[in-house]
Amino acid sequence: MTRAASGRAWAVYRKELIDALRDRRTLATVLLSSVFLGPLLLVALSGLYATLEEGAERREVVVSGIEHAPALRNYIERQGVVILAAAPDHEQQLRESRLRDAVVVVPPGFERELALGEAPVLEVVTDSANRHADASVARVQRLLYGFARERAGLALALRGVAGALLEPVQVAERDLAGARSRAMRFTGMLPFFVILAVLYGALTAALDTTAGERERGSLEPLLTNPATPMAIVLGKWGAVATVAALISLLSSLSFVPAQWLLRSDALQAMFQYGTRELVAFGLALLPLAAAVSAALMAVAIRCRSVKEAQASAAVVVLVLSLVPLLSQLGSGAAEPWHLWMPGLAQNQIMARALQGEPLSVRQWLVPPAVCALLTVLCLRFVARHLREAAVRP
Amino acid sequence: MIVADGLSKRFRTARGGFVQAVERVGFVAPDGRITGLLGANGAGKTTTLRMVAGLIEPDTGRVTVDEVDVAAQPRAALARMGVLGDARGLYPRLTARENVVYYGELQGMARGAAHARADALARMLDMAHLLDRRTEGFSQGERMKTALARALVHDPPNVVLDEPTNGLDVLATRALRDALRWLATPEGGSKCIVFSTHVMQEVERLCDNVLVVARGSVVAQGTVEELLARTGRGDFEEAFVDLAFATERREGAAS
Repeated sequence: MTRAASGRAWAVYRKELIDALRDRRTLATVLLSSVFLGPLLLVALSGLYATLEEGAERREVVVSGIEHAPALRNYIERQGVVILAAAPDHEQQLRESRLRDAVVVVPPGFERELALGEAPVLEVVTDSANRHADASVARVQRLLYGFARERAGLALALRGVAGALLEPVQVAERDLAGARSRAMRFTGMLPFFVILAVLYGALTAALDTTAGERERGSLEPLLTNPATPMAIVLGKWGAVATVAALISLLSSLSFVPAQWLLRSDALQAMFQYGTRELVAFGLALLPLAAAVSAALMAVAIRCRSVKEAQASAAVVVLVLSLVPLLSQLGSGAAEPWHLWMPGLAQNQIMARALQGEPLSVRQWLVPPAVCALLTVLCLRFVARHLREAAVRP
Repeated sequence: MIVADGLSKRFRTARGGFVQAVERVGFVAPDGRITGLLGANGAGKTTTLRMVAGLIEPDTGRVTVDEVDVAAQPRAALARMGVLGDARGLYPRLTARENVVYYGELQGMARGAAHARADALARMLDMAHLLDRRTEGFSQGERMKTALARALVHDPPNVVLDEPTNGLDVLATRALRDALRWLATPEGGSKCIVFSTHVMQEVERLCDNVLVVARGSVVAQGTVEELLARTGRGDFEEAFVDLAFATERREGAAS
């Protein structure tokens, strides 16, 4: 590009940036919706995680009809667990999520049937739509199986049989996931929100500099200046990409203060967001901001009005935001082709950074190269269609 | 000086057919003179001026601006032209000055020079009080003045204006007329001014040379007096109707 052309591209860049930054209302909306949504979600998730943690650790069990089972009461109390009597309408309470614990229902005649070896049934009542109660089922079942095992052990011991016969095999669980990988169940959605922030950061500016300029009737006079279409397009794209990059940077930075607000100690220990993660987020998002800005401009340049462009851009937004979600619905494993898909690749890089896992050279190089290629293709498309868009027959 | 020679342009219609918008239009607009393209709506004035400004490529013919070929060297030609086109959208979040200076920079001017020129143009167009206001909410007249200042920022020797008085009130029209007249004088830079209109009064009061455009072609040209003499009319509107719609009238009379 010649010096004159780069001077003109710079003039367009400066003007478009001033124009975009003066659109205060839109900027405020984008900042509120995109930049604060991720951290808010993180804090809300940590609240949920804290209550689940609390539920898992609680030494309480809700029982209906404990008076029918003195042996069970004895066992539970020996475990240091407090028995709470269930309200008569506990089923209703569970359905309405007013009760946050599964309820053990002891039938009348339990003790007699137990003594006779008739295997009485202990019901654990829950509502799978009640997340807290459902989470407590495993804890309650462990307690009840403990009781059953103790009873069986005692019965066998009376007959002179070793209790170990009941357990010919021991099952042990070994979780390979590191603490931070486990936290991904909760923090896995964060990259998705940051990508959304980039999209919405670029959207308004991209549409305003193309379809908006066309709708205002300022594109035709703009082309009566001796600036090449490519110089104009580069200036415009630079401004849009700067806005998108700023929003993505703010969005990435916002997780630093958000982690101080985490309510769950365990999650706080597992979710580490420091300089390393920030750099990884930045390196993933900058090429994406560039490509998304160019793609949105390419979509909008063919549209006669901002309204029409919004409808077309919605498709881009939908695809980019749905693709990472679709990958989560699958096995969750990172496939090699994910790296070639803008959006999905960045999602993968940020997820790995959050898990504290290192990135390969391929992971560092392929996504920016794809974004660069997409940017060049889209900008050439916009430059080629600029004149046609400007002149309304 | 702007010279158009044998310009033709046809557009494809939505139904797949073609419409001939301009056919073999030619004219010479010398420096220091005001040349008017007079025609009814849809006569082909805007398409002709868009071809002059290099916004549309003609199917045939060529345009030169101070002997620079618009098709071959569009940037050099545009640097010698100030264009106030059919669309004159401003940037509502920028001030009038910022709108003008932006175009100055795109014309390759230094920022300081563009600011100085914006001040000078504001004095000339009586818009100094508007200069540092955002253009959002400007009246039609204020918008036109800003757009004209924007087109003139690089002090071009040639000025092309498409229906510049559209939507203007009497005072704004008079102010524009005075500005154009001054620009054609040696003090104003002896600029070559080409403008299109469908308003007879403007042509009568302003033009040194008139081209009557009808159905995409130039059907007559000359000074107002010459056109009156040619039609034998005392009223210019009557003369225009005779010249522009003569064929339809003849066909109507024949049937």
